[in-house]
Amino acid sequence: MTEDLAVEASAPPAPRTAPGRTARLAHALDEAQRRALPIARPSDDRPLDLDAAYEVQRALVSLRTARGERVVGVKLGFTSREKARQMGVDDVIIGSLTDAMRVVDGDAVPAGRGIHPRVEPEIAFLLGPGIADPDSEASAAIAAVAPALEVIDSRYRDFRFDLGDVIADDASASAFAIGPWRAADAAATLANRAVALELGGRQAQVGSTAAILGDPLRAIPAAQRLARRRGLELREGMVLLAGAATAAVPAPARGSVAAEVAGLGRVSVRVDEEETR
Amino acid sequence: MSSPQTATTDAIGTPEAIHAAQARLHAASCARVTCAPVRDLLGEDTQEAAYAVQSLGIDRRVTAGARIVGRKVGLTSPAVQAQFGVSTPDYGVLLDDMIADDREPLDLGRFLQPRVEAEVAFVLGRDLDSPTTHVADVMRATEFVLPAIEVVDSRISGWDIRIADTIADNASSGAVVLGTTPHRLDGLDLAGVGMRLDRDGEPASTGAGSACLGSPVIAVAWLARAVARHGRPLRAGEVVLSGALGPMVAATPGHFHARLDGLGEVRTEFTGRAATTPAVDAPTTTDGGAA
Repeated sequence: MTEDLAVEASAPPAPRTAPGRTARLAHALDEAQRRALPIARPSDDRPLDLDAAYEVQRALVSLRTARGERVVGVKLGFTSREKARQMGVDDVIIGSLTDAMRVVDGDAVPAGRGIHPRVEPEIAFLLGPGIADPDSEASAAIAAVAPALEVIDSRYRDFRFDLGDVIADDASASAFAIGPWRAADAAATLANRAVALELGGRQAQVGSTAAILGDPLRAIPAAQRLARRRGLELREGMVLLAGAATAAVPAPARGSVAAEVAGLGRVSVRVDEEETR
Repeated sequence: MSSPQTATTDAIGTPEAIHAAQARLHAASCARVTCAPVRDLLGEDTQEAAYAVQSLGIDRRVTAGARIVGRKVGLTSPAVQAQFGVSTPDYGVLLDDMIADDREPLDLGRFLQPRVEAEVAFVLGRDLDSPTTHVADVMRATEFVLPAIEVVDSRISGWDIRIADTIADNASSGAVVLGTTPHRLDGLDLAGVGMRLDRDGEPASTGAGSACLGSPVIAVAWLARAVARHGRPLRAGEVVLSGALGPMVAATPGHFHARLDGLGEVRTEFTGRAATTPAVDAPTTTDGGAA
C-alpha cells in the first residue's frame, strides 16, 4: 500500500552517534520537557540519522522510566500522507507513551503545562494477546478501540524540526486521553468516519479517520514493524495511538477540548487555568 | 481601496456596472482566458449586485439552450467563510451541460483553473419554495442523496476572488460528477459521514459531513430559503450540491476517487490540460503539525 511503505532494512539497530552526544541530547530533551523551556534542534548542529535519532529517544524514555514512569503504550506519527509529504518523509515514526502522560477522560489538565502544546483527535487501540504474533490479523491483535485526544508538544523552538529531531523527541509525545473503549469489532467499520475536534464546544477541525494511513487498522502492522525494528516492546494491555485524523491545533489556555468520532464515541479534557507550574 | 482595477466609484453596482461585470466573465468563459476580478465594478461586499451578475449569466446560457438542473451551495466551511469575511454560504446554478457521469473522462481543456472537492448531492422529490424552509422540510422533500465530485473553476485570474467575484461567477462552478448509488435519508447521519478523496490512489483530501455547515442538510435548508427569497425556488427534480466536505485540491490529469462512508463512491478521470495551469494546492512547510 502506498500509505505503508516498508523502506527500512532488517538490520538490527546499531549506535551511529557518539554515546556522549546521545546522552547529552536525551538529557537536554528531558530537561526541556520538565522545565517547559524549548531547546535548539539537534539538526542545527548536525542532523541525526534514523538510527541515531531512535537511540536518543530510547535514552530519553529511559530517563523517564528511571524516575519511576512506566511505558504504557506507543504512538505513531506522520500517519497522514499529506503531513508526511510536507516533511519529505516516506514512513511513519514511533514513540513511547508513559503513564505520566495519561489524562483521564473528563479530567482537568493544568494550563501552562508544556511549551507550545497542540491537540489532535485520534483513534486508540488497546492491544490484545495477538499483538505478539507478527502474522496475526490486525483485528486479532487488538482487544478494544476508542476515540482519543493527543497533546503533542515539541521540545524544540517554534515547533520546527526535521525527521531525526522529532524522533529523538519521542515523536513530540506529551499527553493523551482515551474515551470509552469499544469492542474490537467496532474497528472494522472505522475506515472513513467523521472526526471532529472541539474547543470550548466549538468545532475547530473536521476530518476523517481515513487520514490515518487510509484506515486506522493499518496502524497495527505499522506499529508491529516499527517496534520490532526499533526494539520497542508491544504487549497485551498497552495502548496504541494510531495517528491524527485532523491537523493539530494549539491547545487552548482554558476550557474544554473534545474529540468525537462518528459511531465510536467521544473523549474530552478540560484545561484549567487555576494551577500553574 | 484594495480593488485591483480602478473604476469610477459612482458607477459601482449600477445596472451598467452589472452588465460590464457579466460581459467580462462571459468573455473569459468564451475565450478560455481568465479575467480580472469584477469587484471593482460591484463593490467588494455587496452580494445583491453580484447575484444580479450571476442571474444575467445564467439567463444568457439558458437563452443559448442550456437547461437549469439544480443549484450548488458554496462557502459552507467556517474556515472558508472567515477567509472571505462572510458569515453565510453563497450559491450558484447547475446547468445540464455541467453534469457528468461516474467514471466519465473529463477533458481539463473545458476548464480554466479547476479544483476538485467531494460532496453530498441531494435530489429533490418535491418543491422547496418557502422562504422559511427548515431541515425537516428538506428531509421530507429529498428523494435520495448521491455521492458527488464537484469540479470548481474560476474565471478570475489566479482565483483572486472575494465574495462578490465568486457569486458573480456562478459560485465558481465548473462541473459535477454524480455517483450512482442513491440512498434515502432515513437512518443516515450525514454529519457523521467520513470523506476520503484520492488522486491516483493517494489520499489527497479527507473530511466529513459536519464540515459542511454542521450537516449537508443544513446547507440545503439555507439554500432553499435564500433562493426562495430571491424568487427562484428549488423545484422537484433539482440536484443540489450541498458543499465541500473537505479541502479542495487541484484538478490535475489522472484519476480522482471520492468515498463517502455509507453513501458509496464516485470517480472521475481528468484528461488533457486546463486552459490555465492550476496553482499548487498546498504550500510546503516544515512546521510539524502532526507528529
